Amino acid sequence: MTDVGQAVAEAFRDEWGRVLAAVARSTGDLDLAEDCAQEAFAVALRTWQRDGVPERPGAWLTTTARRRALDRLRRRAVETEKVTTAARLAEPLTTASADPVLEAVGAADDAAGWAGAADDPDGDLLRLIFTCCHPALPLEGRVALTLRSLTGMTTAQVARAFLVPETTMAQRLTRAKRKIRAAGIAVRVPPPDLLHERVSAVLAVLYVLFTEGYDAWAEPDGTPDRRALAGDAVRVARLVARLLPDEPEARGLLALLLLQHARRDARLGRPAGDVPRTIEEQDRSLWRHDEISEGLTVLDDALARRRPGPYQVQAAIAALHARAPSPEATDWAEIEALYDVLLGMTRSPVVALNRAVAVGMARGPEAGLRVLDDVAAAPELAAYHLLPAARADLLRRAGRTAEAVAEYRRALDQVDREGDRRLLRSRLAALQEGEAREV
Amino acid sequence: MRYLMLVLSTPDAPAEPEGVPAIEDWVRDTYGSGRGVLGERLRPPVDAVGVQVRAGEVVVTDGPFSETKEVVAGFDVIEAPDLDEAITIAAAHPMAYAGAIELRPFWPLGLGDGSPEDGPGAADEGAAGAAGQGAVGGPAGA
Repeated sequence: MTDVGQAVAEAFRDEWGRVLAAVARSTGDLDLAEDCAQEAFAVALRTWQRDGVPERPGAWLTTTARRRALDRLRRRAVETEKVTTAARLAEPLTTASADPVLEAVGAADDAAGWAGAADDPDGDLLRLIFTCCHPALPLEGRVALTLRSLTGMTTAQVARAFLVPETTMAQRLTRAKRKIRAAGIAVRVPPPDLLHERVSAVLAVLYVLFTEGYDAWAEPDGTPDRRALAGDAVRVARLVARLLPDEPEARGLLALLLLQHARRDARLGRPAGDVPRTIEEQDRSLWRHDEISEGLTVLDDALARRRPGPYQVQAAIAALHARAPSPEATDWAEIEALYDVLLGMTRSPVVALNRAVAVGMARGPEAGLRVLDDVAAAPELAAYHLLPAARADLLRRAGRTAEAVAEYRRALDQVDREGDRRLLRSRLAALQEGEAREV
Repeated sequence: MRYLMLVLSTPDAPAEPEGVPAIEDWVRDTYGSGRGVLGERLRPPVDAVGVQVRAGEVVVTDGPFSETKEVVAGFDVIEAPDLDEAITIAAAHPMAYAGAIELRPFWPLGLGDGSPEDGPGAADEGAAGAAGQGAVGGPAGA
């Protein structure tokens, strides 16, 4: 790659989100912003060759992208004028409502608006994140759009990462962007009365993104593209934690992701096995201890603000695992106590299920089974494979083999994740082997 | 008396109905005579936004409350600069606590974005996807 090619590639990695965010803020149109940001990078490739790499590539790219946007809006305004004039002539009863395109041009022509935007790249990024993660958009669209907008990944790359055809991903992104326009989702930080819920919505999108990638680390055929999503989620979470310094939950999520991601190599072991390992079975020397210590620091910083939330508590649980030098040294009583706190915060049946598992570790399998029986009635868990899987593990540890076999089979009927499927199969096979030997 | 006239598009609509009067004529007659008060076209259900308040939290969801048995109990036409302001207004309505509010953006005439999927039959792709439980999901010992 030439030096200029290198410089553009670096700028793309570092500045894509900022350039896109600045244009999106000025125009309120994510589609337009995307096109113009792309064009700006293409122009850079040509002109930097001739004129040299500018001192501040990001600012150069942003200005170029904005100019392109302004040109397009002006052209579009002329066309819209023609269309609406025609429509008004044909339909005299239509009230002439405010035209968003013309308004955008008005704002675009306002020199102060454009100049002001250049001074606040972090603010622009934050607005873009809230827009991409707006809960009025379908969840799949939010996740894809966040990834596309903040990392600059192409539609084809995003499609590959999520293992869907490119046309499907293109449609998902198009629908989300169309809804942003159609429903009037503004590129803005939400008003104070909605901010709390909206921060949670952003963090939830990042966690879904992370999980998609992290699951692939537990699958022998998990593709590098898909696994990379976990790292992408960590990067975006780091950005969000920086942009929302007063939100301890943003740090809580970052800590949680760092602490989980640090275990990625140990999930299948090295050399990679066919069956994922539970945390107790993992080779702890494969954990990335530098990432763990960063996660612990971020968590301490979040907890010091004394406004706990579900992500901070989940990170605290992950921290207890990370701190234990061996599985036997894990403080299960403390983990159980943290699940109590988490359950009080979320009232989630999935948390209640995880708490039952912790009870089983802290106080023995029979105690865990008793707690599990109280949880099992929740309708949300009716088709959730981890309910029978957790019961099967407890029954196995309690020596109730025949019942455990039945529960592993039930879990296998419901499982929808490759990693979990392999783990369940191997547990079932080991039990049946043991049974056969006894007979 | 005032009546709300709900204009519905139905999945089993005939492809080429016969003897359909022109909408322009209907608008002219109805609004020209002063019988029409307010009428608009709405964006399709995929662009709808659900707003509820539960346990003090504003819960915003993608899509309409479709295929359920809600009864339309009333309506308001609100003017807001963007969706978040509209959500704030909707979330302050008592029925957001006891029932649900569905925001359906108007679809200005002459400014459609021309996509064929915009029609009433547009599929509701990936309605739930991975569901919203991401924050607390996942295997306990992964």
